[in-house]
Amino acid sequence: MAGRRAAVKTIDWLAFAERVPPNQRAMFNSLKTRSDSVAAKLASLPQKPAPINWSYYRSVVAKAGMVDEFEKKFAELTVPEPVDTQTTKIDSQEQEASKTAAAYLEASKARIAEYENELEKFRNMIPFDQMTIEDLNNTFPETKLDKAKHPYWPHKPIADL
Amino acid sequence: MLSRLVLVSGHILKNSGSFGACLVQASRSFHQSSQSRAPVPPLPEKGGKVRHGIFPEELFTLLYPKTGVTGPYMLGTGLLLYMLSKEIYVINHETFAAASIGVVIIYGVKKFGPSVAAFADKINEDKVAEAQEVKDQAMASLAQGIEDEKKEQWRVEGRCMLFDAKRNNVAMLLETNYRERLHMVTNEVKKRLDYQVELQNLHRRMEQEHMVNWVEQSVIKSITPQQVQGIWSLH
Repeated sequence: MAGRRAAVKTIDWLAFAERVPPNQRAMFNSLKTRSDSVAAKLASLPQKPAPINWSYYRSVVAKAGMVDEFEKKFAELTVPEPVDTQTTKIDSQEQEASKTAAAYLEASKARIAEYENELEKFRNMIPFDQMTIEDLNNTFPETKLDKAKHPYWPHKPIADL
Repeated sequence: MLSRLVLVSGHILKNSGSFGACLVQASRSFHQSSQSRAPVPPLPEKGGKVRHGIFPEELFTLLYPKTGVTGPYMLGTGLLLYMLSKEIYVINHETFAAASIGVVIIYGVKKFGPSVAAFADKINEDKVAEAQEVKDQAMASLAQGIEDEKKEQWRVEGRCMLFDAKRNNVAMLLETNYRERLHMVTNEVKKRLDYQVELQNLHRRMEQEHMVNWVEQSVIKSITPQQVQGIWSLH
């Protein structure tokens, strides 16, 4: 029976649930129900089947040697283990997921760096009380009045006032 | 935005906090030297102190060591009398017009000055508050964005759990299958043996019944009529 005992790791479903983002909740729930049903099915089956009471049969069955023959053949019989086809696929899926996760992490870090820069800009700004209009236009370029496009005061369309 | 150094109402503006809050249209075009690159120092909160609305305090401070407290007043009175007596300033119709207008203006400013000041200050403060709010919101959303990104990174770390769960499922399914096979083999063998047993029992039973029937039949057949008569005659 070597190789049959693939270790069944205990999974902390609570911690797992925390890490699931809200838009994938449905998939997580279906996975959980499936896992639970599989586990329940496994638990319902006893590990070894009940042993056959050979002595009883030997005493009852009249045909000589039949029981002995059965017993011998039964002892020799080995049940083939089911072949595991999926684990390699799962492993390859895991590799891919690791790659995409790494890429996502990179993008995420870049985004964080951007946010940090903007936050620094805001933190280093002089207070509004001490700004001049020039300073304001430098800090927020969108406040600059376009004197070329609207040469007359108020230098912006009336609707924007 | 006008600068707030209005001479007449200088001392009336109690809430002159917006001196610094003015956005001055300071143009740097006149400064050519490199020193002009320094940031503009903030404007003072209040204008220079004045006494009686027009006379700067520096005059009084200047004359105090030499002439004491009453010095500037004596100077003013002397100057006024000099100008009147020498007719450097001539009293005419304009004098009374100026006096009346002066009285009205002073009365108006004293009465309505503070409220107008407050109104103007409020407009300014609203603008500043709006800008401040925009800035605060932007900072808050950026911080929130950073938090969310960190949370997503933490979530991604847990991806191996998914694959563990999948592998577990596969292992459990295999194990279940194997156990089912074992059980099936045992059950089949048991069924065969039981069948043999049942078959034997059936044979025995049939033989028994047959024998019983046969014995009964032979006994009944062997009851000859004379025996029947003999039994009846005994009664």
